[in-house]
Amino acid sequence: MINYIPIINILILILFSFVMMLIRKNNIVKFISLASNIFIFLLSILLVKKVLIEEVITLSIGNPSNLLGIEFYVGKSEALVALVFTFVMVMILWYSKFNLEKEVEENRLSFFYILINILLASLLGVIYTNDLFNSYVFIEVSTLSACGIIILKDKKENIKATVKYLIMSTIGSGLVLMAIAYIYSITGHLNISNIHEIIINNYQFHRNAVLIILGLFTVGLGIKSAVFPLHSWLPDAHSSAPTPASAALSALVIKVYVFMLMKVLFRMFSYEIVNSFIIMDIILLLGSMGMIFGSIMAIMQKELKRMVAYSSVAQMGYIVFGIGLGTVSGTAIAIYHIIGHAVTKSSLFLISGLFIKKTGSKKIEDLKGIGREMPFTLALFTLGAFSMVGIPILPGFISKWYLSLSCIEVGRVPLILIILASSLLNLLYYFPIVINGYFGNENLQGKIYKSKKIPFVRLLPIFLLVLSMIVIGGMSYNLIGLFSI
Amino acid sequence: MNLEILLPILLPLIVGLAVGIVKPSYDKRNKIIIATTMINFFLVLYILIFKTNKILHLIKINEFLDLYLYPDKTGIIFAILVSSLWIFTTFYSIDYMGEKNNLSKFFMFFLITEGITLGIAFSGNLITLYLFYELLTLSTFPLVIEKGSELALNAGKKYLIYSFCGATMVLFGVILLFSQTQNLSFIPGGIVGSLVYGNKDIFLMVYLLLFLGFGVKAALVPFHSWLPSAMVAPTPVSSLLHAVAVVKSGIFALGRMTYYVLGWKVIEFTEGNKYTLVLVLLTILMGSFLAMHQENLKRRLAYSTISQLGYIMLALVIFDSSSYVGGMLHMLFHATIKITLFFCVGAIMHYENKTELHEIAGIGKKMPKTMISFTVASICLIGIPPTNGFVSKWFLAIGGLEQGSYLVPIILLLSAFFTAGYLIPVISTAFFKGNPAQEVEISEPNNFMLVPIILLASINVILGFFPNAIIDTIQLAADKLF
Repeated sequence: MINYIPIINILILILFSFVMMLIRKNNIVKFISLASNIFIFLLSILLVKKVLIEEVITLSIGNPSNLLGIEFYVGKSEALVALVFTFVMVMILWYSKFNLEKEVEENRLSFFYILINILLASLLGVIYTNDLFNSYVFIEVSTLSACGIIILKDKKENIKATVKYLIMSTIGSGLVLMAIAYIYSITGHLNISNIHEIIINNYQFHRNAVLIILGLFTVGLGIKSAVFPLHSWLPDAHSSAPTPASAALSALVIKVYVFMLMKVLFRMFSYEIVNSFIIMDIILLLGSMGMIFGSIMAIMQKELKRMVAYSSVAQMGYIVFGIGLGTVSGTAIAIYHIIGHAVTKSSLFLISGLFIKKTGSKKIEDLKGIGREMPFTLALFTLGAFSMVGIPILPGFISKWYLSLSCIEVGRVPLILIILASSLLNLLYYFPIVINGYFGNENLQGKIYKSKKIPFVRLLPIFLLVLSMIVIGGMSYNLIGLFSI
Repeated sequence: MNLEILLPILLPLIVGLAVGIVKPSYDKRNKIIIATTMINFFLVLYILIFKTNKILHLIKINEFLDLYLYPDKTGIIFAILVSSLWIFTTFYSIDYMGEKNNLSKFFMFFLITEGITLGIAFSGNLITLYLFYELLTLSTFPLVIEKGSELALNAGKKYLIYSFCGATMVLFGVILLFSQTQNLSFIPGGIVGSLVYGNKDIFLMVYLLLFLGFGVKAALVPFHSWLPSAMVAPTPVSSLLHAVAVVKSGIFALGRMTYYVLGWKVIEFTEGNKYTLVLVLLTILMGSFLAMHQENLKRRLAYSTISQLGYIMLALVIFDSSSYVGGMLHMLFHATIKITLFFCVGAIMHYENKTELHEIAGIGKKMPKTMISFTVASICLIGIPPTNGFVSKWFLAIGGLEQGSYLVPIILLLSAFFTAGYLIPVISTAFFKGNPAQEVEISEPNNFMLVPIILLASINVILGFFPNAIIDTIQLAADKLF
């Protein structure tokens, strides 16, 4: 029974999203959405337990050697990433239960929950799948539902951002589809494991084709996951969307495409094959550039949500950097950073949403003195910022440390400088908010202690996210040992 | 389990947080803080007697993030210094800070910082030390910007940026070191050993990165400029944190790195100390030179600190048993001397509102006890026998001579003249300038301030006459290293 959890998860989410469409009352929709997400979160825990014992679960629908067969492949990394994603999604839904009304009109509210269910289903689909065409379908579904939740707000900037996202995403999907077509024409398979068996023996005869395939996959999935020079859609989309949607987009959606890229690079091809092409150096370069320029762009932002969004570009840089090292340890850290950043960034986005809701302003400069008005909320934000800056034990530090060790392992010591420079840059944009929030006479003038306090119950989802961030940092050694592609 | 080792770190942390959250009234708060710092002093003594060289594993996250405490002799000496000076500062700051509102936040971070500094003292390996070192930056930052003015905020930002750049360099060094040794614990003589052969360049890089990184907090030239800026902080903070706790934590970390992680033989093999020696000598000279040009009394003392820290760092680049003893002694003595000087200047600032050199003409008549204490401390710092400053400089000079370097005694002598050059004008202005005929009413500071000042001044003198107990303890630690 547990073997069927991957498909059950996806089906439950999609099924209930259709049920929600039929219901008019928002409260019932909220309840169904939260219940279905909590249910699949629990199922994901079962799945992780099972996978920890059995290593890998494969689930075939149809005949996988046949073209039409669909195969799910759930290893430890897939199961754990899915678990963290469902957990974050439950927290986001819990948060939106209290806070979404302000941002989205009453009659569109149920759309959000419907789309979130479809979105999560497609994300899980991309994570679980072992099949190129199937993954392509899920990628498309996720893109469209992501566009849907951005445009829910129905303002001019949202429409602009969505169109931009849609166009760039479609280009990405097009490139991915071309790559899939290429690989099919060479190998005659769509199943990743089958392709691997064929290509491992024959890639020398098709070096140019393989290079093109690698390039198409990297650029196509790179656009969707906002890898540095291809990121231009992200700040608009993520900052204009309703806050819970931004959190979901930044913390979860962009991550699955990199995860897919890892599967393509290391499972469909292999470390040996990809390392013999120039593509890995390019990926490494893109990652390094993202780490530096993403942070620099974030420093220049005047709006809080845009700053946090650019910070995501920088953090994607870390993940891409880990992939670009082209080693088993680099991949493990990339996956670790995916989950570490998922909890950190979602909590930062949700807190930003609370700040914006309470102060009524999107500007960073209007957040001065917020530490007196919302001391506990800003304390949670500070913890997230500490992780980004790299205070020991928190996940940000762990990622940096292991990335640096991997750099030494592959003999590229100077790259450590980029990692460290990027963490210093993170300091420059997160700390001013904390400092101006808590300190300074001018900043605190006229602010009343705890005047904008939020009841603890409503902060609980964010609190749990921050707590899980610390746990993920504390368990890093055990976790990283589990991750492989 | 040796859980007691954790107590002196946790007690101020917990009480500090409680004070910050509960916000007790003025009287209650004072009692709580005084009690906490005093109890903490006895806890440190308890550890000295019963728990020296015992180990306490806190948490092991993975093979490098293995946090544990291991108070050895060197660490406990530092801890005693910290916890005793904290008591004096507590009394002093209760009067100095007055009954202003919002002081709960100040005293919260004041206590937290004590806990974290003791954490640095007891750390058993480099990564634990690094963790506390980062936390120290974060906990002292609110103290630096206590005034909340634009100037204070800018100084605080400068302090943060310098500190984090330093910490980043340290992290780089630690990562490189770990990739070679797979071990970061403190062992007398170092953990590198024979690994250095064939990897000379990497270890040279590690040494320089760690030295420069920790050097930021130790106000090594050219990374010193945060220290004079940070003098915008209230005087108790400047005295305690920026002459004692923070800079001494930097020095302490440097000492751990030099003698317990890399080991002096390794550094000598890489010849890294040749480069750092130049920086250290530059620190001594530049600090003294710049101090002479400062009108503002606190800035004058800040530059003096930079120069004196240079002496201590001499012991870290000249590998000799005598200079090690001299350096450790100077670390202790400079702390007590400099805190006295700062307290005197702070008293003048607080009661007379005078911060510049020319303003204090004739103040010796008005506050005789304060200024006599200042004079005593100055004489100690200049190093006229038989004061404690003389003792430590004597050992430093001998260490230099034993290593065949005549430059060291010469620089020490030169700098003693400079020290006199920037401290004597303060004394002479206070006592001999101004209108001699004018009758002045004596108005000394409140006892909360005056008693710590006089006590500390007398401690300086007593330590000058009877330094042997301390010298013997340090000599024991030194024998293990050389």
